[in-house]
Amino acid sequence: MNPRRLIFAGLIGGIAVIYLGLVGLLAKFAERNLIGELVTGSRAMVAAAAFCAGYVATRPRVVAGELQRVDGARAGAAGALVGATSGALVGLSVVFVDWFGLDRIRDIFVGVSPDLLDFLSFGLSIWAAVGVLTVAGAIFGGLGGAFRSLDPAIRRPLGNAVVITLLMALLQRIVPVAMQEVGLDPDWLYSPVTGGLTWIGAAVVFLVSLGLSVAWMRRGDRVRASVRTITQEQPSAKVAAAAIVIGLLALIPVLLGTVVSDVLGTAMIFLLLAIGLNIVVGYAGLLDLGYVAFFGFGAYTTALLTGATLNTTTGAAAPAISLDLNFYVAIPIVVMLAAGAGVLIGAPVLRLRGDYLAIVTLGLGEMVSILITSNWLAPLVGGPQGMRDVTDAAIGGFGFREPHHFFYLALAFVAIAIFVSWRLASSRIGRAWNAMREDEQVADAMGISTTRFKLLAFAMGGAIGSLGGALLGVKLGSLTPASFEYIVSITVLSIVILGGMGSIPGVVVGALVLIGLPGLLREFEEYRQLIYGAVLVAIMILRPQGLIPNVRRSRELHEEDRAQDKWASDLSGDEDVAAPLTPLGEGAG
Amino acid sequence: MANATTPARRTTAVRMSALERLPIRRIILTVLSVAIAAFVIVGSYKTLTLPAGEAYTWDTWRGIIVRGVSQGAIFALIALGYTLVYGILRMINFAHGEVFMMGAFTSFFFADAYAKSGFLNRSPVTALLIIFAVAVATSVGVAVLLERVAYRPLRNAPRLVPLITAIGASLFLQQTARGFFGTNTQGYPRPEVLDGTWTILGFPVDRIRVVVLVVSLISMGILQYIVARTKTGKSMRAVAEDQEIASLMGIDVNRVVVKTFVIGGILAGIAGVLFALTFESVNFFMGVRPGISAFTAAVLGGIGSIGGAALGGFTLGVLQAVGPPLLLTGFNVPSPFQLEDVVTFSVLVLVLIFRPGGLLGSGEAEKV
Amino acid sequence: MKHRRVLRLLALVAVLSLVGAACSNDDTGGEETGGATGGATGGAVDCASVEFGCLEVASGEPITIGTLLAISGDTASLGLDSQAGAQLAIDYLDGTLDQVDGQLLGHDVQLQNEDDGCSADGGQAGGQALAADPSILAVIGTSCSSAALGVADKIFSDKGILLISPSNTNPGLTSEEAHQPFYLRTAHNDKIQGAIVSDFVYTEQGITTAATINDESPYADGLAAAFRDNFEAAGGTITAVEAINSADTDFGALLEGIANGNPGALYFPDFNPACALIAQQAADIMPDTLLIGSDGCLATDFLETAGDAANGVFASSPDLSVFANGDFYKNEFIPAYKELVGTDPTAVFHAHSFDAMNILFDAVESVAVDNGDGSLTIPRQALRDAIFATSGYQGITGTITCTELGDCATDVTIGVFEAPGWPVEGGEPDSAPVFSETKSLDQVL
Repeated sequence: MNPRRLIFAGLIGGIAVIYLGLVGLLAKFAERNLIGELVTGSRAMVAAAAFCAGYVATRPRVVAGELQRVDGARAGAAGALVGATSGALVGLSVVFVDWFGLDRIRDIFVGVSPDLLDFLSFGLSIWAAVGVLTVAGAIFGGLGGAFRSLDPAIRRPLGNAVVITLLMALLQRIVPVAMQEVGLDPDWLYSPVTGGLTWIGAAVVFLVSLGLSVAWMRRGDRVRASVRTITQEQPSAKVAAAAIVIGLLALIPVLLGTVVSDVLGTAMIFLLLAIGLNIVVGYAGLLDLGYVAFFGFGAYTTALLTGATLNTTTGAAAPAISLDLNFYVAIPIVVMLAAGAGVLIGAPVLRLRGDYLAIVTLGLGEMVSILITSNWLAPLVGGPQGMRDVTDAAIGGFGFREPHHFFYLALAFVAIAIFVSWRLASSRIGRAWNAMREDEQVADAMGISTTRFKLLAFAMGGAIGSLGGALLGVKLGSLTPASFEYIVSITVLSIVILGGMGSIPGVVVGALVLIGLPGLLREFEEYRQLIYGAVLVAIMILRPQGLIPNVRRSRELHEEDRAQDKWASDLSGDEDVAAPLTPLGEGAG
Repeated sequence: MANATTPARRTTAVRMSALERLPIRRIILTVLSVAIAAFVIVGSYKTLTLPAGEAYTWDTWRGIIVRGVSQGAIFALIALGYTLVYGILRMINFAHGEVFMMGAFTSFFFADAYAKSGFLNRSPVTALLIIFAVAVATSVGVAVLLERVAYRPLRNAPRLVPLITAIGASLFLQQTARGFFGTNTQGYPRPEVLDGTWTILGFPVDRIRVVVLVVSLISMGILQYIVARTKTGKSMRAVAEDQEIASLMGIDVNRVVVKTFVIGGILAGIAGVLFALTFESVNFFMGVRPGISAFTAAVLGGIGSIGGAALGGFTLGVLQAVGPPLLLTGFNVPSPFQLEDVVTFSVLVLVLIFRPGGLLGSGEAEKV
Repeated sequence: MKHRRVLRLLALVAVLSLVGAACSNDDTGGEETGGATGGATGGAVDCASVEFGCLEVASGEPITIGTLLAISGDTASLGLDSQAGAQLAIDYLDGTLDQVDGQLLGHDVQLQNEDDGCSADGGQAGGQALAADPSILAVIGTSCSSAALGVADKIFSDKGILLISPSNTNPGLTSEEAHQPFYLRTAHNDKIQGAIVSDFVYTEQGITTAATINDESPYADGLAAAFRDNFEAAGGTITAVEAINSADTDFGALLEGIANGNPGALYFPDFNPACALIAQQAADIMPDTLLIGSDGCLATDFLETAGDAANGVFASSPDLSVFANGDFYKNEFIPAYKELVGTDPTAVFHAHSFDAMNILFDAVESVAVDNGDGSLTIPRQALRDAIFATSGYQGITGTITCTELGDCATDVTIGVFEAPGWPVEGGEPDSAPVFSETKSLDQVL
């Protein structure tokens, strides 16, 4: 182990902690108890930084074509050095702040509050705090190093169990409420005093998840294999499996309560958008940065077709054009209009590729945002005040606005979109998109009409995106332009990228991770965009094929990997896709 | 490596004649062109023939054009940064707007301190030099870090990949500034020498706008000189042409790329301070709109071309100022200036349809 | 062929939703019974029979008040400012603003902060998260009218949780047809501010032509409209109605266009930095026009950004100085705010949120039942009735009397301040408004 490398890694870890402090995360979570009163959110972050630095720094290296194995003691010692460096750097920065004057630094960095200093100095004197931070850093860094040297068969379940326990601790405002809703007593698991997990609860969660994880490691392959053979051999089993899945999904709102249903509802709207964008970006390889245009188009068109009213400062008013159709009659019309809009938008910009297409689509998205806010279209769509009384898509008096009702409507829409998208992918059209994405000239030469297929991708993407908009209206009951800003396009793109371009299961996971998780961990709301930014960078560098890659696509990436020596060399490496706890840790690691 | 460059050549060879055979596209394009031409002519005619009380006077038009030109100078200055990186690496540094913001924001703390101590007005030149130095240093630091962490590992990846990273990096930097410096808008002090107006060709122009214009032109000149005349510029052009062959010729590609980002950072730092001095404010989202506008300007003028960035900047500035009132007032569209970006992007789309490489570009956008 | 596919899909939707219906109906039924039995255990009040039940606060546990404010994004300064106001109200429970939290009826008070995202979807997500938590007594929010209107106000009212907004000024929220029973606000209704500014321009200054510029926020749009309605009703002429994007910086061309119509006054009820930039650039382009902004402009940012151009610019704002509590606000509240947040107030609504918390505390004190063992029982419907009955409360935003439709700032005094005499840091904190008028809701259009 090269000590300079280790110290460098330690400094990066320390900088990560300082970054978390400056950006305000440490002060914000200093009081958030995770387990007992000892493990707080901020302490977990600081420990995780040292741990990750120790873990990453002791990564086995290839020397002269051979993978060097590291024994536990040496890795632990190396990790400890890394962690101690991190801790010392953080400690010294505290000394610096104390010496320079908190108020003077706070004039520049607003996040450097007395709370932050209190947290980092543990209420001790400054130099004692440096000692504590260094020692603690050494311990966690050492653990990180030692963890690296464990057998993967132990390491992975252990890692999973820790992550799940921390996640359960973070969900302290969701899980107990959901437990109460179904009549369970959460007090043994979550302490009403500290708010976080109790020590007993944490131990139980840890052991259960460890047990399940070990069992899955041992038996998972076999279970998967047998499920596969059963479904392949007996078609009726397929139907049964589908029925079970649908049944389980249908039970979610009942079991998990209002908040989870609501968050899942939002996640499904974005999932719908991501499925649509996945067709454009993942299948056809056209980067669309203005996807929000279709979202807005769908939302407002549905509202206008189903008799919503304008929101005005004095109450309500009728829009300039308004029909009073049933939601389910309106939807096919909206979808067709959106597909038409996709063709209209696509046609002029088709010949542009890559980055030029990106800026033009970005512009189109901006145009829609401006138009729905504008005074010009205000008589039609309400301008800044937006629209209200949007239909709740009731069927025979059964409305879908309630979060657990909405879930079913969204589920149905998502199921349709997934079905369409899946059939398209494996059809002739899907193969044509594939060919076009990989090499447009060759595709063209093979007789594939690239124009038509590009237009089709735009139309399909637009149609599915507009469904998402229609759902948003049902969910909220009112529409304002603030829901249709540029960041929506970026969010949807992040989902597709995180999940894996072209992969439907990937998109589902992406939506759950990027919308569902922040939806449940609402304290992170302020940092959501920061996390999206970090995710986009980290995924593209560390795992460009996404969390759950499209099989064919990932093979292509691997081929490129071989051809293009350096890029994506980490593809088969460790799956260090950390929870969004330490955004910089991901980037720096 | 070879994979990355050959499709571009193939494009030129095959020229996608299939597209031209298809009627859908051509029909839509024809209809679109006719409709837009009619819209522009009728709109302008109606606006210019409005009854005396409602129509804009000649003085108003002149004022609008002057404002547009001075805004265009700022777009041009920022657009240079986009165009430089694109010209060398064929990648859009989407985070350039944030690099610009970081420089301006950091320099604010110095400018503010100097203003409070009176140093800024006592010796404005020294103070401004320090302020510029701070901004440039920060921007260069951020740009180089960005290149090292976010772009270098992806140098040979498909084109979309670094673009997505750049979008992520831009969001990350913007939110970092928000966390570090807070959400408030800070008033950026301006030395008194730069307040007020100078009379040029008979009408008054804000001094700071003149400074921006002059600095933009000088930057363009220097940049043109560096790229065309110096050894660095030669190696940059070599890298732009073909990275692999350049490296075989003994050029350290990484160094050239870093140099490119350094120059881009310098431009961003200068532009950031000038922007802050012009509008006397900094905030964490100040990079977003100018970034998008400058980016649009660069594409409009022909990205990769230094003259194009300048032309695109001024065209965009004037277009945003003149377009909405000229085209929309006649149709009685309320609040026409609100729709300036609609006009801008429509023009961008039109330019790209008929000249895919932008106004001064090579006329060829189909490089992948 | 295609028709049949569509039909098939529709059939699928129908089947799935019926399945959903069956499941959810059971669910809702179960919830209600659960709530009722839970309430029956609750001490002296008969919680089982009153609508919405009671909130039980066990001995030693804190009373939790939610906030649903815009704490991220471009409008974060608005929400964080109100959040600080709420925090200071907790601090003030012990009678002093000393950064040490006081107690309410022997219990700590804690805030649970959610983000309204300044949008309908933000209000929905945050609202659901708070409404599902049975320990939430009441919610301070939302920052933005769009998050409340038909979204958060409905979610909380359905659950019997009070939603008290410190900064919703949209008139629609308290209109006859839209008002939700548990919604109220200490913020002034936009109609009043618009009317008073119109009086200032038309009557006081004798100016008969005006133009307005608003940004894309419902706030600015509504205020500009209120001004125009009143100004035209008084006999004035509006020469231009323009709108901007709040992230824009260059308004030169726009202002040249407006100057063409020679308006005597330009009203721009926006937020900084746009507001300051408009003032700065308008001072060059139309030096003879009266420039007037709103409470969104009235901030230190404005004075710093606009510099010398700020001098002579007017801004309307709730006039806090006229009340008995004006000195308290200046000498105690503002220093405590700076201590807590680290910066000057970034908006005016911290005062409204402070008052909102205080009328809530008063209502809790009047209806909470002390069970003798240190625990409290607070019946939700009674709490609502008590707070809606608030009358003549002397807050730092004036006298607070709540109407049946939830407007608690019924008699609002709006002052018009002339820069540099603005009551913010960087201005002249002791300055009096050049024009001040008190109006009540029924006096305006």
